[in-house]
Amino acid sequence: MKQSFVFSGSGGQGIMSAGITLAQTAIAMQKHSTFLPEYGPEQRGGSAKCTVIISDAEIISPLPKKCDTLIAMNELAYAKFIGDVKEGGTVVVNSSRVKTTARDDVKTISVPVDDVALELGNVKVANTVLIGVLIGATGIISKDVVIAALSKKFKEKSPAIMELNIAAIEKGIELGSKA
Amino acid sequence: MAEYKRPQSLKPMATPYCPGCLHALATRLVADVIDELQQSQNAINVVSVGCSALNLYTWKGDVIGAAHGRAPAVATGIKRCLPDRLVFTYQGDGDLAAIGLAEIMSAANRGENFTVIFANNQTYGMTGGQMAPTTLIGQKSTTTPFGRDPMTTGYPLKMCELMAVLEAPVFVARYALNSPKGVMDAKKGIRKAFELQMAGKGFTFIELLTNCPTNWGMGPIDTLEYMNTNTIPYFKPGIYKDKESEA
Amino acid sequence: MEKKFMKGCEAIAEAAVRGGCRFFAGYPITPQNEIPEYLSWRLPQVGGAFVQGESEVASINMVYGAAATGKRALTSSSGPGISLKAEGISYLASAQLPAVIVNISRGGPGLGSIQPAQSDYLQATKALGHGGFRAMVFAPATLQEAVDLTYNAWEYAERYRNPVMILMDGCLGAIMEEVEFPEMKELTADNVKEWCLDRIDGREDDHMITPILPEPLLEKLNIGKGMQYKMWEKLDTKVEEFMLEDAEYVVVAYGIAARVAKEAVLRLREEGCKIGMVRPITLYPFPKASLNNLDYTKVKGVIDIEMTIPAQMREDIELQVKDRCPVYEYGRSGGMLLDDDGVYEAIAKIVKGGE
Repeated sequence: MKQSFVFSGSGGQGIMSAGITLAQTAIAMQKHSTFLPEYGPEQRGGSAKCTVIISDAEIISPLPKKCDTLIAMNELAYAKFIGDVKEGGTVVVNSSRVKTTARDDVKTISVPVDDVALELGNVKVANTVLIGVLIGATGIISKDVVIAALSKKFKEKSPAIMELNIAAIEKGIELGSKA
Repeated sequence: MAEYKRPQSLKPMATPYCPGCLHALATRLVADVIDELQQSQNAINVVSVGCSALNLYTWKGDVIGAAHGRAPAVATGIKRCLPDRLVFTYQGDGDLAAIGLAEIMSAANRGENFTVIFANNQTYGMTGGQMAPTTLIGQKSTTTPFGRDPMTTGYPLKMCELMAVLEAPVFVARYALNSPKGVMDAKKGIRKAFELQMAGKGFTFIELLTNCPTNWGMGPIDTLEYMNTNTIPYFKPGIYKDKESEA
Repeated sequence: MEKKFMKGCEAIAEAAVRGGCRFFAGYPITPQNEIPEYLSWRLPQVGGAFVQGESEVASINMVYGAAATGKRALTSSSGPGISLKAEGISYLASAQLPAVIVNISRGGPGLGSIQPAQSDYLQATKALGHGGFRAMVFAPATLQEAVDLTYNAWEYAERYRNPVMILMDGCLGAIMEEVEFPEMKELTADNVKEWCLDRIDGREDDHMITPILPEPLLEKLNIGKGMQYKMWEKLDTKVEEFMLEDAEYVVVAYGIAARVAKEAVLRLREEGCKIGMVRPITLYPFPKASLNNLDYTKVKGVIDIEMTIPAQMREDIELQVKDRCPVYEYGRSGGMLLDDDGVYEAIAKIVKGGE
């Protein structure tokens, strides 16, 4: 099984970081994965997009035309990439920023991840909430493995940041599985 | 009394330079100093493009030919890999002050621990006497047949003065090779530069004012006098930077 | 063996260090900046030197100097910067100095686009500089292949005393995949080249490294190089031949394009089409035999897929096909990427439509 995910939003929203976390978690689960960022001239504030592929078999092409799942963190990204989702695919939208949706041939999961993150204490963990939503909704990766990965990643920063991220992923999973 | 003989660092052959050309003397001074410092096996001569390239055939010791203007970059690569070797570039004015301006300024600014020997004869000798970045105002060349006009070609570049404003270089000096005193001073300067390099002090720059009887269209003796009356008043000999002594 | 999930540029940089690279000089240009950034801290760890040059021109000439000392030297850039390095690459070839040059290519011509493209095939294979020399060009399609080819690139460069190019597009430079790194090569004094400027072997004779030669010697050098290029073709051509046995259509693609094309080939096979692929791994020497020896009683068409328009490899393909069947091309250009559906549809149209 081969699945493709497009993460999109603006620079600073943790798009790349979320994509890498998903890919690394898949690899930790003995799957194959590629992460392809779309690089732009802007270092901050511009649009951000990356494509993650997860597969049981070796990944041949990393350049799918259409993705199975789109994650849109803002209105602009949603408008730009909604057309690239396969029919019957999944779209996870940050409803804190994306107010209108355009397609009814895809499954749309709306979670106000910015607001959820703010409630948890820091808007910066919105991308972690998002990964939680993805796990809750699709089950593509395991909760335990992603928590282990995040713990490893944030352990050196501070226990508080680590705990915040774990709380974020758990909240995300909860919201995702309800969707 | 010291015996006057051919330096070990030069091959036993006639210099390929034109009769009366001070390039030959400049090369000889460098070779003499390297002999005196017993560095002939340790030195690496980075030769540039122009008449200075003739060094490739006369130099006895390790030698490498660099692309036009790129000798300071080549020397950077060599010295970073072989820090214990005595590395120097030998460059003319077209090579160093026109096509290679970025490389010389940047290597100097990085404080690369090698020595630049800059022979300034105010012309492109090898290609037949075109205007050089150092050609004097009013001086004729094949591309300034009526004399260099600053309104269209700017002014002769003073490399020592440019080098001296950089923070990193440790020794920057200019000597004129048209008099015995100039020659003696130049030899001392070259020695000092090499000694500073061997002590790991950093970038050293020696400009040698030379002539070009062939392309200036003068007899060798006349070129020496021309240097006194024209070259030296513009390119003033002297020590422009001496970080060690200042310290 | 350790497996790492790593970005293409960084994987190449680490592979270079493990392959014995101890000198790097380069200048910032997208999309290859992660190579110098990585090496700026990595090389000093292994006693190597990193210099950020003032230009591409200076950087390749620093590499020329470093290579002359016998150290394994590397530079990297993208199209516009490779053009600037052309002078120095030619000098490396002339002075018979081994070095590795990485091109993470982007849209061209001109400043073009910073987005990925395979726009430098002709430059890499035909004219990396003036004077009519060639360099081996390796074109990996996966990061693992990039690691393996980079790791061994100096073996070729030193064996033939000639520059070697690794040509990858911006996609492969930016992509993250799992790679396995080989052990660090330990280069001992035995590796000191008999021609280099180093005197660590205690030699007393003098060495001259020169990019200029008297005419008869230059002619001799060039005759030797010509013979060498023929030898590369025999000994060093690398190619992947995929499902060619009964193929009626043969796709030719390298690097990222080959990955996208392979996906299409598999899809068409599932649909019953007799289609295969030739993937050059060395662009120079070009895998001539793979195309020349196809059974043209069966093959109805050869399809060149490249992430550049017009296709640049096409002439090399046509020289081998020799009008025995039609040659088609499909590509994207300017930083617009190939994609699975686009390539599939383009090939399917030819194969199924019988065009």
